[in-house]
Order: sequence, then structure tokens, then C-alpha cells
Amino acid sequence: MSVMSREWLLTEQPASRRQAHVGQAYRTWLALRGNRLAMVGLGIIVVLILMAVLAPLIAPYDPIQGGDLRTERLLPPSWQHLMGTDDLARDIWSRVAYGSRITLMVVALVAVIATPVGLLVGTISGYFGGVVDTVLMRITDIFLAFPQLVLALAFVAALGPGIENAIIAISITSWPPYARLARAETLTIRNADHIAAIKLQGASSLRIIWGHVVPLCLSSVVIRVTLDMAGIILTAAGLGFLGLGAQPPQPEWGAMIAEGRQFIIDNWWVSTMPGIAIFVVSLGFNFLGDGLRDVMDPKARK
Amino acid sequence: MSGALLTVDNLRISFPTRQGRAEVVRGVSFTLGRERLGIVGESGSGKSQTGRAILGLTPPPGRAEADTLRFDGRDLRHATAADWRSLRGRRISMVMQDPKFSLNPVMSIGRQLMEAAARTASSRTEARAKALAMLEAVQIRDPERVFHAYPHELSGGMGQRVMIAMMLIPEPDLLIADEPTSALDVTVQIEVLRILDALVKERGMGLIFISHDLRLVSSFCDRVLVMYAGRVVEEVKASDLMQAKHPYTQGLFRCLPRIEGGTRPLPTLQRDAEWAR
Amino acid sequence: MGLIDVSGLSVTFIAAGRRVRAVRDVSFSVGRGESYGIVGESGSGKSTVLRALVGLAPVSGGQMTMDGAALQGARPAAFYRKVQMVFQDPYASLHPRHTVDRVLSEPLAIHGFTDRDARIARALDDVGLGQGFRFRYPHQLSGGQRQRVAIARAIILEPEVLLLDEPTSALDASIQAEVLNLLDRLRGERGLTYVLVSHDLAVVAHMCERLLVMQHGRAVEEMTRESLRAQAATQDYTRALLTASEGYRPA
Repeated sequence: MSVMSREWLLTEQPASRRQAHVGQAYRTWLALRGNRLAMVGLGIIVVLILMAVLAPLIAPYDPIQGGDLRTERLLPPSWQHLMGTDDLARDIWSRVAYGSRITLMVVALVAVIATPVGLLVGTISGYFGGVVDTVLMRITDIFLAFPQLVLALAFVAALGPGIENAIIAISITSWPPYARLARAETLTIRNADHIAAIKLQGASSLRIIWGHVVPLCLSSVVIRVTLDMAGIILTAAGLGFLGLGAQPPQPEWGAMIAEGRQFIIDNWWVSTMPGIAIFVVSLGFNFLGDGLRDVMDPKARK
Repeated sequence: MSGALLTVDNLRISFPTRQGRAEVVRGVSFTLGRERLGIVGESGSGKSQTGRAILGLTPPPGRAEADTLRFDGRDLRHATAADWRSLRGRRISMVMQDPKFSLNPVMSIGRQLMEAAARTASSRTEARAKALAMLEAVQIRDPERVFHAYPHELSGGMGQRVMIAMMLIPEPDLLIADEPTSALDVTVQIEVLRILDALVKERGMGLIFISHDLRLVSSFCDRVLVMYAGRVVEEVKASDLMQAKHPYTQGLFRCLPRIEGGTRPLPTLQRDAEWAR
Repeated sequence: MGLIDVSGLSVTFIAAGRRVRAVRDVSFSVGRGESYGIVGESGSGKSTVLRALVGLAPVSGGQMTMDGAALQGARPAAFYRKVQMVFQDPYASLHPRHTVDRVLSEPLAIHGFTDRDARIARALDDVGLGQGFRFRYPHQLSGGQRQRVAIARAIILEPEVLLLDEPTSALDASIQAEVLNLLDRLRGERGLTYVLVSHDLAVVAHMCERLLVMQHGRAVEEMTRESLRAQAATQDYTRALLTASEGYRPA
């Protein structure tokens, strides 16, 4: 293991494949680090992850099992209950902390499912053109023609309520914009000389798409996914709010807002606390996405 | 023809980098009369930045400083935005390498040309006539068609000629041409140079001709500055360029392949760290 | 019969709804080991001829053969072992996210070579770059170094024919000389056949034994290097090119 000194990372003459890759990543990191908003966004997301991992340690009460229904219902925020308690005498801070696990899971699974689908459909469509392009893009258009929440509602209604089905529904509805984006990028890339060069080396279409086109589309799609995360969290929360996402008593933030809405006038904190959590995390992803765009977008650079 | 049209003394242009400010132009000085001055150099020599700085177009965060930067008696170092507006396009024009970015994509060529002509023409008919005459002057075969065309409908060479026409219509006193003919075919290139030549000879325009093409500059200009690594390494009469003294200039000449035949392999340029000092 | 025979080649594009006849009825023949030049201005169709040879441009008429075998439709893998191309713009012809190492290993992987490290090392030495450049990204290279990488990529499969599309027109004069010398040396060492496309008569005169002058998609005339040097052009257009390449002369 070589010493990962600054000079080793930033050298213009890397001596191994690994050093070249690590050095490149370090340079991107340096650029990202210089962007204050991106670092704020990244900080928020790191806090979210820590919260999810450490939920049992930082939550003082059980998120599901409430306290004494006669004395501990709907208490305002205090030192005992940092964010107050809800109508079932559960500590809202504990529920928000455990809820971060659900939010994180939604975000991660949607990113893992929707991004590759969108990338693949878009690059294949753009690279081959012609009939392939027409068919794939019309399918994409059909998905795009419905508002995301309405389409997700339809899928959840068909699959049955529950957080897993909500994630599947959101993933199914969120890939089309990535396919569009990847296709547009591919159209500009496919006529580049370096693609012609690899074709002249006898590379198969699969190899060209996977090894040469996808890496160039990746950064703009990743940026778009990051910026969309706020919307995905909101959609998940919206499904939860409508009773079609996470089911009670799961501490999902959107569902928590829904539960609190009957007391919103007298006990504002029940809905507000999870609302603030959704707001902060969405903002974090937006900041990070903007920062990534500044650093990685090949068009913004140059 | 009294005195110099343009005086540049100790021009320095720097850009910030992670390691502090890097100077891309380091103390360039020259004067320009009503003549054709060539600036040659390879990419990164600072020749284009020199041209831009004269028009106050150093891209931020770059910074241009000079001990003297005087155009026709006016100090350009502290020129305000309003000063620049009254100078650019009217008294000093610039033709850039890539025409695509310099033409308004949603306005027809004719309208853009007439706008440029409006300053010197008394009526719309006269402006239109001037525009068409200038299109003809830059060897556009069908001026009427180009007049009604939009920039995206033109080829690169055609766009470049339109650009040159637009810059020449206001009859500037100084024209800065940055690789104006590199995008053009050799046969058209000569025609464009003829137009520039006529403007210098007949109207007394000053011309700064920035190019990487040593052969072209030596045959076209009166005087040549050879730039290397942000400095002028040699100033020489164009006709004497073949007898240049600086090893860099000599090396640049020698490494060009020749139709009439030459040595094989071509002599390459052995760079000396001293030149950049 | 030469190594490459092109007869009556025509290429027609459909661009923005209009038919563009980029190449019309062009014929030429290149012998084994020869260096053949194609000269013309922009829009003369010179680069399109090269692209048609490797199957990157739609051929609408005529025949092309290599080694007696007809070239049409998708080319077999063996074709790319024999014919490689170097592009004009070294900034566009290298993948921006691939290291030099990756650029050079791709062709080896595609054609199933196992001794990749040794071949990459040799190719880098051959083009005068050396091992220090192996793990760099294109943005860490100058224009001349990039073009050397592109040449290394083209020769790593040990082809017989190199198609050179304006290989030096994006480079500074001093770098151009180095790259031309490199191409010259490689041809001598490996007995390569070149088809070189350029707008610069001097480059073609330096590199090629015979050349074809093209204008508006048509062949104007074929000349030898000697007749070019003797200014023995028979066509007005060639004479205009010759005059123009000498620089500016006041009217």
C-alpha cells in the first residue's frame, strides 16, 4: 500500500492504474470541496446516514411503542421530548430518527433501480437510433405523460399499499427522465471521433455502449438523480401521507405528517417536526446536486 | 499620419491558478501605426490574449495590466464600460477565430449587417446597399441570399467572411484579427487578405494580424512580433523574417515542410529554457 | 492492381432533407507500401473518401477492394487488424475519461491479445512517449502527445494500412514536424501503406509519392510528387492551390 500523500495523488505521472483512478477521484473531490453549498448538502446527507445507522443510540424512546396514553399524549417539545409527542404518546424525535432509515432506504433503492434502467434505455436508444429509438422513446413518452405521483398511485393501488411497493412504484415512474437525458447525451457522443475510433477497432455495440458511452452520460445522470432525490422523498412522503406508502405504525415521515394533520391547529409540532426533516433532507440533496453539476458537468467545465 | 495609433507598453496578463497567479503575457510592448502588424506564435504563446487585452476583453478572472495602453491619444487602462462601448465596433473592431459565437443566431445576417452600417449610413437604403456591397467585397457569391439567411444556415468559411464584413462596415481605425483566415480555404483566404490590405492602404486602418502561420504572416504583414511563452522574443520586418536572428523564429521556419522538397526527416524545434526566461 | 483499389466511388448523404453528393465518381489505386495523398479544401469530400473506405460513410456507388477482396457492408474483425485510422482532432479522438493505458488496451482486448502489457509498452516507446505516459488521462497531455497516443492506438494491432485524416492540422508547426517525422519513421520501420488526407499541399508533398487533388467531391487530377514539385499541374484549380500555398501576394 503506497502512501496516499497529496503529491502521490496529484502527480501528473501516475505509475499505476490505481493511482490514476484514485488521483482523478481526489481531484474531483478537491473541486467539490471548494463548493460550499455542496459541502453543506453533503453534510446533511452524512448526518442523515449517521442518524439511520445510530438510530437505536440517539433515539431515547421506542418509536413504535408509545408512553402512557393518559399523561404523555400530545406533549409540546420539552427537554424530555425534544420534538414533543404525538397522539399515541410516542416520542416524535425517536420516530424521526428511525424514520431516517426508511427515507434512506427509499432514496437508495430508487437510485439503484431507476438510474441503471434510465441509463440503459437512453444510451441504447440514442446509440442505435432508427426503429429501436422510436420504440423505446415512445414507451418513455407514455410513462412521461402521467404525473409521477398519479402513476405511482396507480401502481401502488394495483400492487397493494406498503413501503416496498411504494419504492417499486416510484422507481418505475422515475426512470423516464433519465432515459431522455441519457439519450440526448448519447446523440452528441455517438458521432464523436473517439467513438468512430473504437468502432474501427472492431468493438461490438455492447462494448461501445457500456465502456465508452455510459461513462460519459453517467455524470449528468447522477447529477439529475441527486437533484431528483428531493422529489422522490416528497413522492414517498406523499404516498405515505395518502396512506399508500409506509403503513402505521412505521415511522415514515410523510405518514407522520398525515397522522398529525387532525391536530395541526392545537398541536402544531406533530406535523411540523417530520415536515422539517423532509425539508432539510430535500434541501441537502438539492445543494449536493447543484455542487456536483458545477464540478462534474463536462459542459459547464471547458 | 502623426504618431502611433496604438501604444502598448509592458502589457501583463495573469490568471489565477491553484499555485497563485500565472502570467500568460509577460511584459509585451509595441507601437502600431497605420500598418499591418503581425503577431505570430504557437498555441499558449499569449498572442490571442494580447489581442483581447487591447479591447479590454480579457476573460475574468484574468487580469490585464500595462504601463501604457493608449489608442489614438486615449488611455485605455481606465476605460469605463461606456468608453468601451463607444470604441468597440466603431473605432476598434475584432475578428475572432470562430464566427459561430460572434453572430446573433436569431437575427438575419442582413439585419445584423445593416445595424452595423447604420452608424455611418444616412438612410436604410444606404445601409442596405453598404451591407450588400460589403458581402460582395468578401467574395460571397450570392449576397442577396446570404443577406436573408440566418447564421446557422452558413458554412464555417461563409460565416467567417460575414463576420469580417460586419467588422469592416463601420470602417474602424484599428482592426484586430485573431486567426481570421484559419477556418477559410487557401483560395478564399487570399481574397480576404486583399480586402484587409486595401483597407490599410486606402483608408489608413491599423491592422493587428494574429496568426500561427509564419509563412502567411511573413508574406502579408509589414512588421512581425514573434511571441514565445508570453514574451516578444523578436520584432522583425516581415520581409526579413527569413533572416530572423532568434533561434526560435529560425526553428519555426525550418520545421515547415516544403512543396519544393527539403530535408527528411524535418528539422525539429529544440526548445531552449532560456527563451522562456 | 494495388493494395487498395477504389473505382467510381460515390457517397451521398441526406442532410436536413437535402441530398448532398459528398463524393462523385472518384477512382484511385494505392500500391502496397506506398504513401498516397488526397488534397482538397473543406467540402471537397477528401475525408469522406477515407470514411467510406472503413465503412463510416454510406457508399452509393462504385467499388472498393482491398487485397482483391471487395469492401462493402459491415467489415469483419480481420479488416480492422489490417486497416486503422488516425483522426484530425486529437482532442476529440480520445475518450476523455479513459487513461492512455485503457485507450491502448481496448483494441488488444477486442482482438483477444494476452501479452497486453508488453505490447502497450512497445507501442508507447514506438511513438516516442515512453512509460511515464501510460496512466495519464487525455487532459494531462498536450495536443501533440494526444496525437501520439492516437497513433499508438492505430499501430498497436500492427495493421498494414494507416488512413490519416489531417493528422497534423490541429497541431502547432513545430509539433507537426515531430508527428510527420514519427509517421515517416513508422512507415519505414513497418512497411506501412498510408493514405493521407490534408488541405496542406506542403504536408502532402513531404509525405506522399502520389496525390489526388479533389474539389467539390470530384477528383481534379492525380499527380506525382515530382510533377508537383515541378509545378507541372494541368488543371487551373491545382495551379490556384499551388499559388495560394506560397502565401500572400499583393494583387
